[in-house]
Amino acid sequence: MQFEIVAKCPTTKARVSRLKLSHGTTALPTFMPVATQAAIKGLTSQQVEALGINLILNNTYHLNLRPGMKIVKEAGGAHKFQGWNHNLLTDSGGFQLVSLSKFTKITEEGALFSSPFDGELTMLTPEECMSIQHTIGADIIMQLDDVVSSLTTGPRVGEAMWRTIRWLDRCIETHEKSGKTETQNLFAIVQGGLDPDLRDQCLDEMIKRKDRVAGYAIGGLSGGEEKDIFWRVIKQCTDKLPEDRPRYSMGIGFAEDLLVCVALGVDMADCVFPTRTARFGVALTFNGPLNLKSSKYATDFGPIEKGCPCPTCSDGQSRAMLNHIVTLETAAAHAITQHNLVFQARVMGGVRNAIIAGTFPQYLKTFFAQYFGNEGYPECTRTGCKMG
Amino acid sequence: MSACTLAFTLQNDFAQFAPRLGTLSLQRLDGTSTPEIQTPGFITASSRGVVPHLSRDHVKMTNAIRLTNIPFESFLERTPPVPTLQPGLKPLHAFLGFPTWQHILSLSLRDPFDGREMPANNKLYVSANCIRGVRKVTPADWRNYAIACKPDLVVALSDVPYTNQLHSQKRTTKGIERSTGWLADFLRPVAASLTGEEEEAKPHHLNVLVNLVGGTDARARTLFSQGLIETLHGREQEQVQPIHTLDEGVSGYIFDFLPLRLSLDTKSMTEPKQAIETDMFAELARASLAPLPQNKVRIAYSTTSPHEILRFVQDVGVDLFDSHWAQRAANIGIALDFRFPAIPDDMPIWNDEHCPCPQLRSNGKWDLGHNLFSEKYAHQHTRLASSFLNGTSPETQTEDSHVCPCGACSPSSLSIYLTHSSADARYLETEVPQRPYTRSYLHHLLHTHEMSSHTLLVMHNLSVMDAFFAGIRQVLKSSPASFLRELDRFAQTYDESTELFDEAEKLWAKIESERGKGRLAREKQSSGQVTTE
Repeated sequence: MQFEIVAKCPTTKARVSRLKLSHGTTALPTFMPVATQAAIKGLTSQQVEALGINLILNNTYHLNLRPGMKIVKEAGGAHKFQGWNHNLLTDSGGFQLVSLSKFTKITEEGALFSSPFDGELTMLTPEECMSIQHTIGADIIMQLDDVVSSLTTGPRVGEAMWRTIRWLDRCIETHEKSGKTETQNLFAIVQGGLDPDLRDQCLDEMIKRKDRVAGYAIGGLSGGEEKDIFWRVIKQCTDKLPEDRPRYSMGIGFAEDLLVCVALGVDMADCVFPTRTARFGVALTFNGPLNLKSSKYATDFGPIEKGCPCPTCSDGQSRAMLNHIVTLETAAAHAITQHNLVFQARVMGGVRNAIIAGTFPQYLKTFFAQYFGNEGYPECTRTGCKMG
Repeated sequence: MSACTLAFTLQNDFAQFAPRLGTLSLQRLDGTSTPEIQTPGFITASSRGVVPHLSRDHVKMTNAIRLTNIPFESFLERTPPVPTLQPGLKPLHAFLGFPTWQHILSLSLRDPFDGREMPANNKLYVSANCIRGVRKVTPADWRNYAIACKPDLVVALSDVPYTNQLHSQKRTTKGIERSTGWLADFLRPVAASLTGEEEEAKPHHLNVLVNLVGGTDARARTLFSQGLIETLHGREQEQVQPIHTLDEGVSGYIFDFLPLRLSLDTKSMTEPKQAIETDMFAELARASLAPLPQNKVRIAYSTTSPHEILRFVQDVGVDLFDSHWAQRAANIGIALDFRFPAIPDDMPIWNDEHCPCPQLRSNGKWDLGHNLFSEKYAHQHTRLASSFLNGTSPETQTEDSHVCPCGACSPSSLSIYLTHSSADARYLETEVPQRPYTRSYLHHLLHTHEMSSHTLLVMHNLSVMDAFFAGIRQVLKSSPASFLRELDRFAQTYDESTELFDEAEKLWAKIESERGKGRLAREKQSSGQVTTE
């Protein structure tokens, strides 16, 4: 992996960088769409890359269950299986274990969970988690972390944080022994909940492992905590994390949140939001979201967004036509998904250009004014930007 | 003569009920032309104005899609129907996103593949279906919609009852009378008041297709057709002048087999039911065509197998069919895998252990495709069809080995794609062929209820149908005398029964019940009567 910073914002902590991985170079900051089950829902790999996207996420938990590692290995890895030739990141499956499995018991050894299909109990250890991600073959792999909800309080938070550090060490060991460190890059995940002291201790420990870790994710957030607290934790992490490692904020997808994270020094984020909301008929635009199900669009013959280069808008597909088919035809889901992914990419592309030009604060102001319009943008966003 | 801009030219010498080669083209009044459609060929089915599961970029890259039928009824949910409000010279094309230089659009009121029972029509209106319920459409409404949308082809209103019983003679006669009257009404020139001009009424420049009605009564069918060529007199002729017969204003004929199939009492039929039905329908089609000129395009809707298509080419001389059967196959996880002329059993690509051919049934015939839900495909990391190579196959293409050009078998990375900042890299200089999507991947997508499974299968199945028709045309061109022999060989090679579809449907229903419902549930509802006995 090569990580090269090419520009820094003089005002905020934002920076533009290039991340060179085994399947190409990705310009950061970027937003990563989620291809949960080896597909961005409704789209082919060719459609996704045509949108200018070159880094997506696969879920380890899901792929391990279906199709399973035997098939992924036979196919030659997840890239080949889904026809994706560019960069791929896999999460560890830690979050899904806690959120999707009916039974999960965390021990020092690993996470004991029951399969949602046959109820069979399986133990997912840090070592096994590495092995699965090795088979998948993603360019960036995540450590197995002991995940607790951001709203949890008490000793469990500290316990999870320290265990995450110990699991990081085990992941590093397994990964280094695998011989895959040249092609697959391991990221650590900073935990510690909303407690500044725990976060600080976690940061210190993980930064000690800097030379054996390719990047850092900020985990344990997006669990429903207040935005002001969210920014505070992000800032605390990005203040301390080394400049020469990419910073990944997990589960962030709203444009306003992405921009504040970037201002605070984050380089990458993933979220199902833009693709999921597309399937529900909501198109994201620089003037705010449009609910295309609404009858007010039934006779609107303009595109979702004038000037948008996505296949849907550039073909002139009208809001009226989309209104007619939204939630009723899969073709509507595909069209809006393509648009929303391009929206996300344009937001982040604009960010990169602005940082390079030294106009990032202006970009933020303009974006928020246009996106939130008459409502004015949320106070927490303003606070977050000020922090950066 | 109405200002008909449809040109249908037949290329070979043909008997009245025999295979014919044709070319369909349109010269539009705005000067643009359309691609030529070679016949025998097919019409793509659509739903709510889209080819199901295909976004516009996928429609563009699927060359098999050239001629598409648009049922208008879904747009009745709003008044006025939204496509009639679309500005421009070709509103329907513009609204739906079918470039006029690449696509011919045919407009019918009803979805030809929706066999659900409907409230009865009466002499004043036809019952049509939209998401808000049943709508009554008068002949005047229909004319106005067609004139406003300006499709390339439009189907005149006809009275066909959709009920699950044999129709009485009286009902059939009524149906004929109404349909004839509605056609006459449709062919009236556009009133001066509508064009807003002072001059006399103009012909409406629509290319009209007529449903040849008469149910399962051969005499009634012939009677209807005779009515079309009957010279009109007096007031009747004045109404439609300058034409003298209704047939003069008609560009083509449609056989709609779904209502026939529904009205048949199949329980009393002996085996082989499918073949008997096909023969019966062919006879009825000939009864309809007997009085009519031979040089107009003949369209058949709701054939249920490639075998049936071949029979109608051979025994009736049908020019265009629909691809609904193939599209439905995609909805239930079937990747089609057959060719015409049939692939010889001993061909290497049919015996490749790395790309297994479809299942052999107990009757010694091959399935027409692969039910990718089946567990056996979980580990088949190979292209979808054995009959066709894929875009990156090392074997060179010979006369016997064709490449499936679809987005699943021959995907390619475009040379131009979006970049979003000056820091972004550009990857490709040229279009790069990619490896095909595999059966194992499709199997995974189907079991995880991923929509892209249907996208890939629709593109593939339409391409297989395209190759099928290209094969028919090739035989008719190079050795027409062998067509019947090839038809028989096809019937000997591939299984016509519904076993493959039944199995796939069962597995599909199981997967669907484990998830939420959506469009596919409604689609299943409306077409259920076609594929189940």
